[in-house]
Amino acid sequence: MLEKSVIERVINTALDSQAEFAEVFIEDKKQSSIMMQSNTVEQAVNQIIFGIGIRVAKGYNSVYGYTNSAKEEDLIQLASDLAKSFQGERVRENIALGELKQGSKHSIKKMPDTVDMKEKVTIVKRANKAAREYSEEIKQVSVSYMDYVQNVWVASSEDIYVTDQRVRTRLGIHSVANDGKDMQSGFNGPGGLYGFEFYETFSVEEAAQEASRVAVTMLHADECPSGVMPVVIDNGFGGVIFHEACGHSLEATSVAKNASVFSGKKGDQIANPIVTAIDDGTIENAWGSANFDDEGRPQEKRVLIKDGVLNTYMIDYLNGKRMNEHSTGSGRRESYRFAPTSRMSNTYIDNGESTFDEIIANTEYGLYAKKMGGGSVNPSTGDFNFAVMEGYLIRDGKIAEPVKGATLVGTGKDALMKIDMVGNNLLRAQGMCGSLSGSIPTDVGQPTLRVSSMTVGGRKAAN
Amino acid sequence: MNFDRLFELAKEAGIESIQVYLEENEQLELSVFKGELEKNQMANTSSLIIQGIYKGKMGRMTTEVIDLDQADEWVDAIVKSASLIESQDEVFIYEGDKDYPEIEGLYQPDLHEMDIAKKIQLAFDLESKMAKADERIDISQSMYNEVTKRVLIQNSKGLKLEKRVNNAFVGGQVVARADGDNRSAFDYEQSNVISDFNLDEIAEKMVTKAVSLLGAKSIKSSPYEIILTNDASASLLQAYASMFSAESVQKGMSKLSDKIGQTIANDLITIVDDPFLAKSPRSGAFDDEGVKTQHKELISSGTLKGYLHNLKTAKKADSTSTGNGFRGGVVPTNFYIQPGSSKYDELVKSMDKGMIITDLQGTHSGTNAISGDFSLQASGYYVEKGEIVKPVALITVAGNYLSLLQDVEAVCDDLKFAYNFIGSPSLKIKSLAVSGE
Repeated sequence: MLEKSVIERVINTALDSQAEFAEVFIEDKKQSSIMMQSNTVEQAVNQIIFGIGIRVAKGYNSVYGYTNSAKEEDLIQLASDLAKSFQGERVRENIALGELKQGSKHSIKKMPDTVDMKEKVTIVKRANKAAREYSEEIKQVSVSYMDYVQNVWVASSEDIYVTDQRVRTRLGIHSVANDGKDMQSGFNGPGGLYGFEFYETFSVEEAAQEASRVAVTMLHADECPSGVMPVVIDNGFGGVIFHEACGHSLEATSVAKNASVFSGKKGDQIANPIVTAIDDGTIENAWGSANFDDEGRPQEKRVLIKDGVLNTYMIDYLNGKRMNEHSTGSGRRESYRFAPTSRMSNTYIDNGESTFDEIIANTEYGLYAKKMGGGSVNPSTGDFNFAVMEGYLIRDGKIAEPVKGATLVGTGKDALMKIDMVGNNLLRAQGMCGSLSGSIPTDVGQPTLRVSSMTVGGRKAAN
Repeated sequence: MNFDRLFELAKEAGIESIQVYLEENEQLELSVFKGELEKNQMANTSSLIIQGIYKGKMGRMTTEVIDLDQADEWVDAIVKSASLIESQDEVFIYEGDKDYPEIEGLYQPDLHEMDIAKKIQLAFDLESKMAKADERIDISQSMYNEVTKRVLIQNSKGLKLEKRVNNAFVGGQVVARADGDNRSAFDYEQSNVISDFNLDEIAEKMVTKAVSLLGAKSIKSSPYEIILTNDASASLLQAYASMFSAESVQKGMSKLSDKIGQTIANDLITIVDDPFLAKSPRSGAFDDEGVKTQHKELISSGTLKGYLHNLKTAKKADSTSTGNGFRGGVVPTNFYIQPGSSKYDELVKSMDKGMIITDLQGTHSGTNAISGDFSLQASGYYVEKGEIVKPVALITVAGNYLSLLQDVEAVCDDLKFAYNFIGSPSLKIKSLAVSGE
């Protein structure tokens, strides 16, 4: 790795300008991935990712550059090119870095790079077999395996010099059911901040069967009727509604620019008082956790909404300056190829008091969205949309027939106010979140909850 | 860079043939937000992908630490990777074609060499035009993204190919605000010739769109006659491009299997993959496997003509590669619905009661590339008796892409490419289910 003195010289080169801030981010990542399709292992690839990103800022204006080169002269050159944006009389003295800090909250028992790829292939085959054996209607299964060891070093003029190791593991099962007339698919992708011991924490077979169960259920589902109705969104990946509809609008990335519907709303009632929402980057071994964020600050637990009142945003260092607030340890990035910005970690709506059965029983007619697919949101308007992967109609307070092809549409602001029942069965699920600073691992989560009325898009006219 | 030593080590380790793919990128990304240079990012990166055939299987590894002293570790990784592969598919390291088409203008030095300060000024100018175009513009952000890419493919069978392309993306996003309503719009131009960027036009189109959507409301659920604008149609085509990949077909993941020669779309529809398109970084004389590229029609006046192939899928289908072997799979080059002769404005005038869809959101989740089904959040305008009556938002449109292709009633002459060079002209569709209120 780069010597401390080299990092100091790079930072000090950048500060030889009107720049007030300079940061070096070093990433050394080894990733292995396996892909199985049509019952055969088709790919097994090792990837070495290495690069260095340099960020220089004055006020909240920043420039960023990155390279794969670890040569001192290349880095000094990049730092001085970046500093050209802030030409003028120097405002900061040379800095010296302190002791290197290292986090150790999330213990890893079996480092992935010490496990033979053959053992990893065994996991993939178990998943493939279980997914296929679930039903004769399952005609195609693809299983992807991924693990990585990402070592990062962050050093900056703000007295930051830390290193963090993120070991992540994920298994993805994609099942396709086909009855000759229609094809439907199901996906399940458990993951965590774990090494190979992850596969001792759950049943690979059950995870695979779950993907097939969704595909087969949807194969026999009728088209979803469209219209405005109450929607019960189940726990786990159902939390993607909050992630997309509200989470992104609570990131300083959009709040600081006044581009969010929640800008300037701190202390305001933005959700029904039964809603408390949290973004917690410290949960042990969770998919979206880390010891430090990618700006070198300790990860935190952030209570975003307390009893319906907006309590805090998710803030990175530079947007914090714009907002006159401190970083909440939310600066994240996919890799050295991205400047960090405020991002979610493990974001969820906290437990309420209703039981699952009460929520269903209290809904005369509506949609029960058991599994959500992905979605997106326009942060300036709060308009969101997401696909329902597995849905059922609720009739007379009971779960009735399965329906396919549903999309939920609305605005975050509106949906938060309309959450009128919150369950007590909080569950988190894993996803990849894409935004300005790339694609990063995040958990979404919630207990089962009900939105009193929502636009449901489907291919069938309303009954 | 000299790879001879790597090729020798590979041979000693029992690797029959080996190929390197070296990509070097120089990137500049600028963004001006409300009069401030918000993003100024420069990068120089290189990555190396090594593939080698060991005991009949293709081993693969990638690295960003391009240090030939590590060649023995790379060889070891290739052998290990190949040893795990079970696929019985025949794999190839390509010896090369006799000749390759010459394509001019893929790299324009004037763009690359233009001073950064001028590029920054261009981003400022565009943002200022966007901000001033209408008093209801609340937020404006311009972008200038430029990439220069060099590719080198070299293998132990003596093939050595090089190309250099460059391209700039100039565009941005505005948010218009009035009476508590926010509407955003996004537009851009892509080229490697700096004089192609008409900042006034980019700004005006974007601002007009955002402002005209102000006050948009949902609409009554019903099937409507639809005009899909070029942007909206391109984003939909992008979601379904994989249907045309022989890889999807062979894996049973495409509804187009066994349909060659059949009419699958209205005869107004021709879909093309064109690697010779001017000013596109996706253009080139060869694919990542070193195979010569070619222009082809996938759908020709409604009839399915074929699929996109790489070496592996071609062998399986007893056919030849179409030169679409990119990134280890099958990927289109410049893929688009061929423009027709209809005029957008006239189509709007001819509409009795219908909707113009200008934007489709969530195409990554609301589309099923296997079944062709989609259900997507949309916005646009409601049209009555040939006149735009009101803007519409918070609705979903649902349907099936293959049915949609059959229901095309007119194809406009306004072909436009998305950032990934999948493109479409505006289309008139008989009807789609719209759900709103």
